[in-house]
Amino acid sequence: MAELQRDPITRSDFLGFGVLGAIMGAILTIPPVAFVLSPVIKTNILGQSDVDPGWVEVGSVAEVKENEPSVFQIEFPIDQAYGTKHIQEEVPESPRSLERFTIRNAVWVSWKAPIKTQGRQGSGGDELAAAERPAILDQKTEGFTQSEREEIMSKLNVLSNSCAHLGCPVRWFPDQKLFLCPCHGGLYDINGGYVGGPPPRGMYRYTQAEVREDGKLYVKHEYDAGPEHREKGPQEPYVV
Amino acid sequence: MIGRMRTQTTEASKFLVDWMEHRTGIVTIMEHFLYEPVPKRGAWLYTLGSAVLFTITLQFLTGILLLFYYVPTTDHAWNSVSYIMTEAYFGQLIRGIHYWSANFLMAVIGLHMGQVFFSGGYKAPRELNWVVGVILLLLVIGLAFTGYLLRWDQDGFWASVVGMKIGSYSPFVGAYTINFLMGGDVAGPGTLSRFFALHVWLLPAAIAPLIGVHLYLLRRHGVFGSEFEYTERLAKLHERQRLEEYADYELDDDDENGRDGGGSRRE
Ligand code: HEM
Ligand code: FES
Repeated sequence: MAELQRDPITRSDFLGFGVLGAIMGAILTIPPVAFVLSPVIKTNILGQSDVDPGWVEVGSVAEVKENEPSVFQIEFPIDQAYGTKHIQEEVPESPRSLERFTIRNAVWVSWKAPIKTQGRQGSGGDELAAAERPAILDQKTEGFTQSEREEIMSKLNVLSNSCAHLGCPVRWFPDQKLFLCPCHGGLYDINGGYVGGPPPRGMYRYTQAEVREDGKLYVKHEYDAGPEHREKGPQEPYVV
Repeated sequence: MIGRMRTQTTEASKFLVDWMEHRTGIVTIMEHFLYEPVPKRGAWLYTLGSAVLFTITLQFLTGILLLFYYVPTTDHAWNSVSYIMTEAYFGQLIRGIHYWSANFLMAVIGLHMGQVFFSGGYKAPRELNWVVGVILLLLVIGLAFTGYLLRWDQDGFWASVVGMKIGSYSPFVGAYTINFLMGGDVAGPGTLSRFFALHVWLLPAAIAPLIGVHLYLLRRHGVFGSEFEYTERLAKLHERQRLEEYADYELDDDDENGRDGGGSRRE
């Protein structure tokens, strides 16, 4: 080593190399790294989301039967890569129209079955009474008053089909009266409560859901998951 | 007549080979690359590494061919794979090889690692080649993971979602990892682009030079387990055992003489 340094490095050399090196290094590394990490910066650090924060119509609550969850396909507009809004607005007539750039979610809607005894981990879930469908729905399917809407919402389970284990789409099996996940066999009851299998908690619920005068349910892309819902389990939620 | 032609062709090819050898050293290089002394015992096990190299080469060749039709966008990916399977000549063969060779690759890598492990081939002076091998394994796992999403069908999509969510449980970096892979906070067009970039460019570009390093290091030390190496190691082992026994006797002697606190300690 020593022979290589024929000229000793002076202090000003050292500083010059150091400063220049730092500047050159920054010029060379920051742009590509920020380029690749921009989604991480936008979502994790700046807290933005690709999903449109607006309301999306789910369907008429009167369609939801007693003792059997109904599934609704909904689409949230997203703004990701070539799904970006201004591109869609510039060329609205192209097949890349607004609704092609959505993520499809399935919403399972059911009437709450009152819990008779709260289950504990490993007990096979809660013991449930029969689900209660509000009587008002037999008389009308729209034009509800404020108090009627509140009653409906208090009895409604609005569940995401994204399994709380690793996100596979769960489905209701009428014979077993359970939601079953195809990936690793997670089981949930009609309320979305945990029954068995690997999921660490019950199904994700939509936290922003409302019934309007037209008798339809509307939701936003928000779930009871995340740091503010720690008591539901140790996991971070990624509802994709 | 035929005899003369034969001698002429052999002479011509000999001339050609000599000509190339003089200018490029190609023959020496080929000999150097192709001939490798391996131990007599369990010689077939030493082909496992070559089997890995062969399947990876297949992956590169068929992967490049797939790229002639594959379209990495959410609205066309599935259709383009379907086109490969139904319309393109030998599309099923090319994609089938890419798929099955990817699966065999994982199995053969496992066997190759097992062979190196159980024969002690990772020991000095070959530790670094084991390290390079582990990096290669991780890169191949990365390729297998990112390739599956490219089909953009239910199988590939949900397997990738499950895989990404598993990553999201990592302590501290989980949330960043999954959003990095998804290119946002949902699996969408950005996700497919990223997986495509990783599968087709980044990971193959990283794997190729490391394979070179792996082979270079292999050539430098040869495969482990030549008879010579065994005898030498055994001799060293016996020598060490002998010395240890000898040292034990000496310690015993010390004990008998009694410890007087001031006794010098041997290492
Ligand atoms: C060790 C190397 C590799 C492994 C383990 C691997 C693995 C895979 C796997 C598992 C798939 C999904 C196949 C399917 O389910 O149909 C896939 C797809 C694909 N791979 Fe690779 N791959 C490798 C290298 C490459 C390379 C080098 C390229 C191109 C330069 C490539 C291009 C593609 C393309 C275009 C597809 C999508 C078409 C399809 O799904 O059949 N792969 N790869
Ligand atoms: S993803 Fe549902 S059980 Fe694993």
